[in-house]
Amino acid sequence: MKPQAGGNRKPGGSNSGAAAASGTGGAGGGVGRQNIGRGRNNAKGPSTAVALSGVYANMRMVHVLTSVVGTKCDLKVKNGLIYEGVFKTYGPECDIVLDAAHRKSVEPNVGPRREDIVESIIFKSSDVVVVHFKDVDLNYAKKDNFTDSAVSARLNGEHKEKDLEPWDGGEQHISGSMESLDTDLSNGWDPDEMFKYNEETYGVKSTYDSSLSSYTVPLERDDSEEFLKREARASQLAEEIEASATYKARVALENDDRSEEEKYTAVVRGERELHSLNRENKYIPPSQRNREPGMSWGAGRQNSPRLVQCSPGPPAPRSGPHDYNAMDQRVVNGGAHPWPSRCPSPSSRPPSRYQSGPTNSLPPRAATPTRPPSRPPSRPSRPLSLPSAHGSTGPLSTMPKRLSSEGPPRMSPKSQRTPRPHRVASCRGGGPPPPDYMSQGASVEVSAPPPTRNSSSGGTWSSVVSGAHRPRSPRQNSIGGGAPSPSCLSSPQAGTVPVDSATASTTATSPTAANPATNLEASPIEEAKESRVLEMRQNSPNANKENVKPIEASASIARSIGKGPPSMAPDHRKQIDNLKKFSVEFRVSLISLPLCVFRNSEKSTVDSTGPKVPMESTISEETSTAVSITPTGSKSATPSLSPSSAVPEQKRGPDVTSQGFQTTSSLANAAAKDKDEKEEKNDPVAESVRKSTLNPNAKEFNPRVFCSPPKPATTPTQTRPQGQPSPSIVVQQPPAVYGQTMFQMYPLTPVSPGVQVPHMTMSQTKPYRPGKGENASLSEFPNMPQQRPDQHHPPGASTMMHPATAAGPPIVAPSPAYSTQYFTCSPQQFASQPLVQQMPHYQSQHVFSPMIQGSARMITPPGHAQPSLVSSSTTQYGEQTHTMYVSPTPIPQQFPHPSSTLHPHPQHPQPSATPTGQPQQGTQHGGSHPAPSPVQHPQHQAAAQAIHLGNPPQQQMYSALAPTPPSMTPGPNPQSPQASFPSAQQAVYIHPQQMQHGYNPNHMAHVQQAHMQSGMVPPHHGTPSHPPTMMLMATQAPAGPQPGTLNPIPVSSATHYSYTLTPVQGHHQQQL
Amino acid sequence: MTSRRRTRLRKARAPVSLAEKMAAPGPGEYFSVGSHVSCITCLGQRLQGEVVAFDYPSKMLTLKCPSSSGKPNLSDVILVNLAYVSDVDVINDRTETPPPLASLNISKLANRARTEKEDKLSQAYAISAGVSVEGQQLFQTIHKTIKDCKWQEKNIIVMDDVVISPPYQVENCKGKEGSALSHIRKIVEKHFKDVESQKSMQRTQAQQTQKDSSLSS
Repeated sequence: MKPQAGGNRKPGGSNSGAAAASGTGGAGGGVGRQNIGRGRNNAKGPSTAVALSGVYANMRMVHVLTSVVGTKCDLKVKNGLIYEGVFKTYGPECDIVLDAAHRKSVEPNVGPRREDIVESIIFKSSDVVVVHFKDVDLNYAKKDNFTDSAVSARLNGEHKEKDLEPWDGGEQHISGSMESLDTDLSNGWDPDEMFKYNEETYGVKSTYDSSLSSYTVPLERDDSEEFLKREARASQLAEEIEASATYKARVALENDDRSEEEKYTAVVRGERELHSLNRENKYIPPSQRNREPGMSWGAGRQNSPRLVQCSPGPPAPRSGPHDYNAMDQRVVNGGAHPWPSRCPSPSSRPPSRYQSGPTNSLPPRAATPTRPPSRPPSRPSRPLSLPSAHGSTGPLSTMPKRLSSEGPPRMSPKSQRTPRPHRVASCRGGGPPPPDYMSQGASVEVSAPPPTRNSSSGGTWSSVVSGAHRPRSPRQNSIGGGAPSPSCLSSPQAGTVPVDSATASTTATSPTAANPATNLEASPIEEAKESRVLEMRQNSPNANKENVKPIEASASIARSIGKGPPSMAPDHRKQIDNLKKFSVEFRVSLISLPLCVFRNSEKSTVDSTGPKVPMESTISEETSTAVSITPTGSKSATPSLSPSSAVPEQKRGPDVTSQGFQTTSSLANAAAKDKDEKEEKNDPVAESVRKSTLNPNAKEFNPRVFCSPPKPATTPTQTRPQGQPSPSIVVQQPPAVYGQTMFQMYPLTPVSPGVQVPHMTMSQTKPYRPGKGENASLSEFPNMPQQRPDQHHPPGASTMMHPATAAGPPIVAPSPAYSTQYFTCSPQQFASQPLVQQMPHYQSQHVFSPMIQGSARMITPPGHAQPSLVSSSTTQYGEQTHTMYVSPTPIPQQFPHPSSTLHPHPQHPQPSATPTGQPQQGTQHGGSHPAPSPVQHPQHQAAAQAIHLGNPPQQQMYSALAPTPPSMTPGPNPQSPQASFPSAQQAVYIHPQQMQHGYNPNHMAHVQQAHMQSGMVPPHHGTPSHPPTMMLMATQAPAGPQPGTLNPIPVSSATHYSYTLTPVQGHHQQQL
Repeated sequence: MTSRRRTRLRKARAPVSLAEKMAAPGPGEYFSVGSHVSCITCLGQRLQGEVVAFDYPSKMLTLKCPSSSGKPNLSDVILVNLAYVSDVDVINDRTETPPPLASLNISKLANRARTEKEDKLSQAYAISAGVSVEGQQLFQTIHKTIKDCKWQEKNIIVMDDVVISPPYQVENCKGKEGSALSHIRKIVEKHFKDVESQKSMQRTQAQQTQKDSSLSS
């Protein structure tokens, strides 16, 4: 049987089957099969011989013999006897097997007896003379029995082709018949005709009754009133039924004219914008994608609408990018731990909240109200740049969207951020940058005006901007060393840049504001050791509930931030060197000394954010970003941000902060932080109710911000650093929204006193924070805690989250991932050139950073040059970022931005403590201010450029910058008095961590975004918080407890930590 | 092709030496598929047909011939062992490349084999039961039309409804009155009518042959 089967198979053409071996016949046709059979045989080994052996190797023999299986045959053997049986099968040697065989008797018609029949007989081929199969249908077993060829083959035998005969038209027939057919209008036979015909012809009488009385009852019509009523009723019902949608729908089903192609296959667009947005993103051009992606990312449907809205604003290509940038910034802010870091104190938290708020639905909502006010001011500018939804209408909506879908929002933010950064970078960069600048500048300018407006509205702003600018500029320099530097670089265009920075600052402020709120509540919560998520949630809730406080805090922060950032951006750049002084000045100008401290802390936070922002900005537009960052830094950081920054950190990474607090000094620190936060919050509150409102939102946003930061994190490496950077980015974005809020906040500036007090405390705490954060470089315990919180807040949480969630891979190997991402990004958008440039930039940047530290200014020039290059690249990045958003690359870009921002900040802080940091700060200051700006600018720019150029470079930069940034931010502003430098350094360290965290945050942000999408506000918070914790963990072991809360983050965080832990410098080195 | 000859030349029974057989393939060692070949077996049977397959190692040649029953859509297949064949002659060589081999439905073939075997065994069972030749013939006739028939002892059961008992005449058909019974009766009636006609034909033919023989003799 097997052999047969095999043979059958072969004949069948199916090469399969062990028996197939038979296929390898000698027949030419069988060659192929033989080969196959051999192959099989080889595979089978033993069977091969069988398969190939004998008849089985003969394809045609197998086929024909198999075709006759089951037929009766007469088998004649050598001795002349004839056996009849049913052909059962055959062997390889052509042995024949007959079933029910019997020896044929001489008598023809006598059937075999039962006893004559043998079950089966095997005849050896050597005994067989002839086997005669009679009346065999060779097509019986053909599978293609019903193919045309098979059918025709059968018929051919029977039916010879008929000879076709021409038809003469049948004239012999009735000529009229044809015509009658043509002229006969009747439709066939009339029934009556048929009946008549049948009756006449066949005698059939039809019983057909047209009334169908057998089936129904005839309707008896009468004129009675009742009948008329019933008739009317019937008609009415008929109309109703026929008018019903159901009826129409069902009728439409039957009478749908659309083709199936139209209904099921054709791609119809434009019907569902919201839903389709995501889809559209795929189809939308890169430029549009950027916008849309953000939207989509932010909040799927909601985002899409927002996006649409935004898109309108952005219409101009530049504007679009700007918008994106704004979006990104916002996102960054939201996710941006930077803010938190900047605002580690209360102010920072508020921002973070705001950021998160945007990202987080809850905060945004709460914030939205306040934001709108703030937005209006900022909008003018923002709309231009941010036209993206983030802008006016967009902002609120976008914010909510982001909040709703943190993951997506973040993503979008990132993408947006990245785009912005690119644009910014481009702006800063040579030719391209200018245009971008122009566009962005316009936006920036607009934003700047808004700040001024805000300031006007909230006096603080103007004051901050004007007065604060200088002070802030220093501060900013310190804080947003990276950003400031960019701004400084851009400073030439400073006007625009400052504006951007202002916007950024505004955004930052908003985050800060949020942070405060979050910080306030969060800190308590943290103290309570509640899970980060809880804290986050609580923060958000608190923010919402305690809108007043948060708002105040945020307001204060916002004020400080807003003031700081706008003015800070420019000033900071130049004044980086004088970060401390600036911080003091800021404090003085903005608020009291406490405020200064806070400012410092804020600055540090801001710086971190600022750096991030710078990073982003640098990436997008170094100057713009830097400006934005610086502004943010100055704004948020300076006034309330410093405090807030600490708070924000706590808030953002409530867990983180809590952890950090716990870990670091946990007790005192936490208490101090909390107090600080509270104070900060209070201050903010006192400062501006608007801010407070913003803050509340900010709180929620902060968590979200974290999430959003994750987006920034999307820029892988930077993300971590960017965690802060992201904040910075957020700041930029926020600027639009936040800026508005900030502006509002400014009015509240009065609160400053309170803020100051908090700041005072904060300042102390801040030092701790820096210390914690900057443990490596500068370990001022007070600063440490603060910094940690900051770190946590900013990038850590958000970025961490983002990396983890968004890009698990990045988390695993944050730096590598980031680097890779960057690279990828760079390659894609940047193309080979960008990468190359980036690489150089990185190196140069690194060099610069050191150089800058040593001689920041000297370095700065190169940095600037690079920045320009970077800017170009950044522009590309912007695109890349967009792409990145789509893919990991976006994150990297964002990260770069954050890192850049962070770097700047670190630089600023570092200047004091860390050489690089200080130089950078100096440079930044120079950038913002004349002298320092150079160095800082270079660094920042370089960093930014590096970031822009390549992710790796960015990372390196970040790593390098990260340390510096922390130092910059923390040291100068907050700690400036006491250990501003140290703190700054610490801050720098933190930045690295933050950077790492930022990365994680980015991932986290993605995750958060995802959560957001799912509508998981808490998750976002949790994620953000987790990142922070992670940050803390990295910085300090204490994080341990919190990790539990951070569960999601852990992996990423762990990696991040490792990265973070591995000194940022180390990373830099590695990268280098 | 045109001529299908299966003449039995018992005279040629003289066995042909294997060597001859081997050498027989005269024109070429191989028979190309599609060519027409004629040969004479060691039993004196003349075979001719179209080469369908040839396996040189086993010396097995497969020929396709027009159906012996004259049915156009059927054909006879002859498997010849060239070891016992002589006078192999290639009438004409292949003109066209052989058609590709179609895949076969193995399960269908297996079912056919099983069915054929069962039928034969069933028939043998009836024969062994002592059923008369007439009965067997009737059974075969009915079986051609109605597959659902079987032997139960000497009775023919058709469709589990009609029982035909010996001597298998129309009146012996019993069962539930209906179309089935009437239909079976028609078949039986026609069967014997045909048998009678055949017998008469044979008789006449036999008579004629006898006459002829007598005349000739």
